[in-house]
Amino acid sequence: MAHGTDTSHGHGDTVVDHSHHAHVCSFQAFFGIYVVLLFLTFVTVAIAEPVSGLHLGSASMLVAMAVAAVKASLVMTVFMHLRWDTAMNNLAFLGSLIFLSLLFLFTLADHSTRQVADPIGGTPVDVKRFGEN
Amino acid sequence: MGHSTIVTPTPQGGFQTHTVAHHFKTAEQEFQSAKLAFWLFLATEVMLFGGLFAAYIYFHDVYPETFQKGGALLDWKLGALNTGLLLTSSWTMAMGVRASQLSQRKPLVWWLVLTVICAAGFMVVKYIEYSTKYHHGIFAFTGLFSPDDHYAPDLMGLAYPQLYFNLYFTMTGIHGLHVLIGMIAIAWLIWRGAQGRFHSGWYTPVELVGLYWHVVDLIWIFLFPLLYLVP
Amino acid sequence: MTTHVPAAETAPETGSRKEPSYLDVTKGFWSWAGTLDHKRIGLMYLIGVTAAFLCGGILALLIRLHLWTPTGAIFESNAVYNQVFTLHGVFMVFIFIIPAIPASIANFVLPLMLGAPDVALPRLNLASFYLWLTGTIMAIYSIMSGAVDTGWTFYTPYSLQTQQAVVSMGLAIFTLGFSSIFTGLNFIVTIHKMRARGQTWFKLPLFCWAIYATSVLQVLATPVLGITVLLLAFEHLYHIGIFDPAHGGDPVLFQHFFWFYSHPAVYIMILPAMGVISEVVTVHSRKPLFGYKLLAFSSISIAVISFLVWGHHMFTSGESEFVMLAFSFLTMLVAIPTAIKEFSWVATIWGGSVALTAPMLYAIAFLIIFAIGGLTGVFLGTLSVDIHLHDTYFVVAHFHAVMMGSTALAFFAGVHHWWPKMFGRMYNETLAKISAVLILVGFNVTFLPQFAMGSQGMPRRYATYIPEWQIYHQWSTVGAVILGIGFALMLGYLIHSLFAGRKAAANEWGGVTLDWESPTPPNLYNFDDEPVVTGELYDYGQGAKH
Repeated sequence: MAHGTDTSHGHGDTVVDHSHHAHVCSFQAFFGIYVVLLFLTFVTVAIAEPVSGLHLGSASMLVAMAVAAVKASLVMTVFMHLRWDTAMNNLAFLGSLIFLSLLFLFTLADHSTRQVADPIGGTPVDVKRFGEN
Repeated sequence: MGHSTIVTPTPQGGFQTHTVAHHFKTAEQEFQSAKLAFWLFLATEVMLFGGLFAAYIYFHDVYPETFQKGGALLDWKLGALNTGLLLTSSWTMAMGVRASQLSQRKPLVWWLVLTVICAAGFMVVKYIEYSTKYHHGIFAFTGLFSPDDHYAPDLMGLAYPQLYFNLYFTMTGIHGLHVLIGMIAIAWLIWRGAQGRFHSGWYTPVELVGLYWHVVDLIWIFLFPLLYLVP
Repeated sequence: MTTHVPAAETAPETGSRKEPSYLDVTKGFWSWAGTLDHKRIGLMYLIGVTAAFLCGGILALLIRLHLWTPTGAIFESNAVYNQVFTLHGVFMVFIFIIPAIPASIANFVLPLMLGAPDVALPRLNLASFYLWLTGTIMAIYSIMSGAVDTGWTFYTPYSLQTQQAVVSMGLAIFTLGFSSIFTGLNFIVTIHKMRARGQTWFKLPLFCWAIYATSVLQVLATPVLGITVLLLAFEHLYHIGIFDPAHGGDPVLFQHFFWFYSHPAVYIMILPAMGVISEVVTVHSRKPLFGYKLLAFSSISIAVISFLVWGHHMFTSGESEFVMLAFSFLTMLVAIPTAIKEFSWVATIWGGSVALTAPMLYAIAFLIIFAIGGLTGVFLGTLSVDIHLHDTYFVVAHFHAVMMGSTALAFFAGVHHWWPKMFGRMYNETLAKISAVLILVGFNVTFLPQFAMGSQGMPRRYATYIPEWQIYHQWSTVGAVILGIGFALMLGYLIHSLFAGRKAAANEWGGVTLDWESPTPPNLYNFDDEPVVTGELYDYGQGAKH
């Protein structure tokens, strides 16, 4: 069956619907993003303390997560076409990140403020260490 | 209600015609419904893995030394290799979706085959990592946790080292399960794609599996630095 | 593709139908078990959740009868008592209330209200039903294989030390959770993509807004419960240590995860109930809803706020004082949109042409009990008061006022409201009114004494109590028996109506939303002609029966 309209049996028509148009990315765009992603992976590894011996202290976790977030946003916007997708599809996916951040926020807020009135601070009193009996 | 059958335009070259389901008025409505549903499903995946990430960060805060020294026992080179494999597969998958949008039957199949090969490579590396840990007595799950002399000195005096490894096995295990499910889905796409099922008029399954595969990649993008390069 | 059957051949006895109703179009077991029709799936859910409600209700009656005497009258050991109240909780929460209104009533009504031939994803809808069925069977299996005695909350570390059935119960809840996710996801897509021509967002009936808000919660909160029960099962089987203090884990983290789902879950229960009440109140008062946009936005804001308050379940669990204060403050915010709703319903009834039909009586009972349940919620959200009331019968009475007295009553209001549309038959209205009054009276006789003894310190989940509280417990048991009689009567006349009820009018209550424009009962694909929305929503102006 090709283009056009033909009548099938009974009371129905077969209608060809041309309503659907999607955004198509170029090869260069996809390949460019892929190369950037590989480069950022290299950056992640290169600045990591176990590999480079670089001492970033408590910032190292934040830097690693920031690079990961950049990589993730490239995948989302280009590979997953969110850049050209409907507002609702963007909201559906990004909204989950907002609600997830609430789980992180309150759970970690609880943990980090337990010390205020509680010297144990949520850490077990009697910590078992490896190699001790 | 309406009794006409709606089909999408079918290009020349042995492609199969797609008939729009009876309860939709247009092909666009059908496509957008499937896509919104799938984005919502992906949101549930984010929330599901989000619970694991929350647990990881929580315990990273409680036992920082355990997590630092535990993470150092993973092979970051294998982790980086796997990151490269998944990123490559993500790119080939995106190219596969593009091929289906342009009604390129053979390129679609080849891009998807490349994707499955990368995914299989990922699983092989994962298997090597798991079995190395297993041979040295680092089992998933606390009851059997008995590191041999290879690892024991590094773990000496750490608080609950098994907790770090259990999180590692649980997170990468559930992620690996998603990779396997994705491989099955892509294999199905290859089979149907070779038959000319997907083309510019209808490529919904390719699009959706593609989105799923990118989310599998997204999760690994965060897992890799957290688990292998723990600061 | 439409299976178009010429009208003349199959016209039912009414003679006026163009197509046979969805009940008549096909026959036989497989035409139901394999159906993709949202109305049939809704009815299968209706039967399923009603059966679950009966099981849970019988367990509740047993609990109340056991508490007739201070030492316990029925169960031979306290362990059995623990198992019975856990089963009551699991059945009522996960198998009855969560799917009750969305999966049964909304499944039937929502596409009709949108003027759509079906939900957007009919196969997923059927899959969701079978997941629910599988989860229910797994839950029953875990009961048979050694009942769980942890309460429906599965707090660690106790749930790690008790019987192995926690694993199968956890997996059952995982499965039920996915059923719930798929229903919610389906409804969001349906509301976005399947609306009739001319039906803008602010011409959506409020039931659709309520279901939309519910669905958002189902999609975003339930996965966290999924991973929590999965980790609990791992914990039980392999001691991974995340929630187990003996292995370095943190039981408070379990409670954070559990309540991140289970607090929004109470809004998964109450929001659709609010939607039902909105529809019932406007139709039976023959007056447009007061404050339509406020009602719509309050549903959405309740959904959002529900993610910010879960810590109020953990005031005595060892979370930090700082987050306790934050959670207590945020909890108070829920009262604002909730009160907006209550006042809007009352303002809708005010000055309306109120018909005291059976659905309206259930709705009025809802308004009374929901006010009690809502206001006592403010007591419990107050940090200092909660320290005293935590885990007492005051909490039990509070959440029963919301779950049973509000959600279950709204569910029955909805069943009575749409019953003629579902089956084309009417129940005996006199009996229906008697049962509504019995349930309202029975509820208050059951739970008002529980508020009283709870404030005096009677702890929940105890098989025995001190003799001073016996009079309260006995009143409560009497109330439970009245409730039981009311529900038994309801079941009786509803089943009777299927066989011997009078034929319902095409638009039994004179409703003006699209669900009342379909034939009664609807066609396989709902409408004779594709509906188009032109006029105002809830316009009872001309042609309304006063």
